[in-house]
Amino acid sequence: MQIESRQKDDVLLKRSAKGDEGAFAELYRRHQAPLYRFAMRMTGNSWAAEEIVQDVFMILVREPKKYDVERGALGAFLYGVARNRIMKYLERAPRDFSLEENNDGSRETPVQLQEQKTPAHWAELRERRQQVRAAVLELPAEFREAVVLCELEEMSYEEAARALDCPVGTIRSRLHRGRALLLAKLEMLREVPKRANAGR
Amino acid sequence: MTCEEFATAGLDLGTAGEDGMLLQAAREHLRACPHCAALQENWLALREELRALGAETGETAAPSRVEMRLRQEFRTRHKTVKAQRAAAIFGWSLAAASALFCAFTWINWRTHEGRGVAQRQAPIVQTAGTQGNSSLVAASATPAGAELGEVLVASNDSGDFTLLPGSMPLAAEDATVVRVEMQRAALGALGLTVNEEHAGDWIQVDLLVGDDGLPQAVRLPQTSN
Repeated sequence: MQIESRQKDDVLLKRSAKGDEGAFAELYRRHQAPLYRFAMRMTGNSWAAEEIVQDVFMILVREPKKYDVERGALGAFLYGVARNRIMKYLERAPRDFSLEENNDGSRETPVQLQEQKTPAHWAELRERRQQVRAAVLELPAEFREAVVLCELEEMSYEEAARALDCPVGTIRSRLHRGRALLLAKLEMLREVPKRANAGR
Repeated sequence: MTCEEFATAGLDLGTAGEDGMLLQAAREHLRACPHCAALQENWLALREELRALGAETGETAAPSRVEMRLRQEFRTRHKTVKAQRAAAIFGWSLAAASALFCAFTWINWRTHEGRGVAQRQAPIVQTAGTQGNSSLVAASATPAGAELGEVLVASNDSGDFTLLPGSMPLAAEDATVVRVEMQRAALGALGLTVNEEHAGDWIQVDLLVGDDGLPQAVRLPQTSN
């Protein structure tokens, strides 16, 4: 299945390089969503994610020969390019992230009242999500990308290793460190209200 | 299993398809270590939250304006490339056509020039045939004397020749008829009588030239002055 997909990517890329716009559009649609989510979760900024995705695909428009079929799948190549752009973005503006859930607003999944819960419960849930999102964004970049790919995108370790072009062991260890940091951060956040209440 | 081993591998248990022995060891460690049990509990809660966060934005995709911008860039780039290719092909075609035209013109000019020179300089000679009709043969015949002028078209028969004084009659197949233009006075040098009043006139003369290159007989064609 993966081989077929990869072959299809290669064929589409060849056709795109020859000027077939339909092939390029197909390639874009196949890969843009995970790249966009990866960029957004890494930067915490949908505008930056948009720019990064655009930059990544601009390479396929301008320099399609930069992708070497022998070196791996197109998806991994695109993740690599996206990752470089993300790192540059984070170096340039390391603290310029927002806690917004989604700048677009239009794509936000509405919270569905499947169970009868109080507004206070939903407010708490929302706050908790924001805390988790902020905690993820505060992780060092190398741990964050492992957490984003393996926990948020639910990739296997092997898939994440291919996307980040590193050994599976590295993914494991980064994920372990990332989890530990997340746990520490969120436990601290949980304890702050308790301490605040205790101080009154 | 130690606490450190559990923190490294144990948190993934039950989800990452670990082997049975490891799973058993982790469970035993969980029962024995309240700290790791709490860690596991926290981690499972956090994982749920992460998964929920992932699911919340799981369908998120880049806005359609990104695709529009990229497609616009794609069209611009490929149109530019096509236009550049077309211009290059047109340019090269034009250059090739110009080169061909120049070459053709030059060859044509050379051919005409060559013919003109041949007509002016190289004598067209005719081997006298035994039956009057003979084939034309081009040869670099040396003129009999400096006074011999431009070689013109020779007659196609060998009759009506007047033997020059001192010449022996030749077999027709051994002789060549050469038409030249010369002053009438030059006939005197060949031993013929010339009217002094017309000595300066230019006339056409057919010379019967022998194998030795010397004229043996002479004839005044009908058209000559």
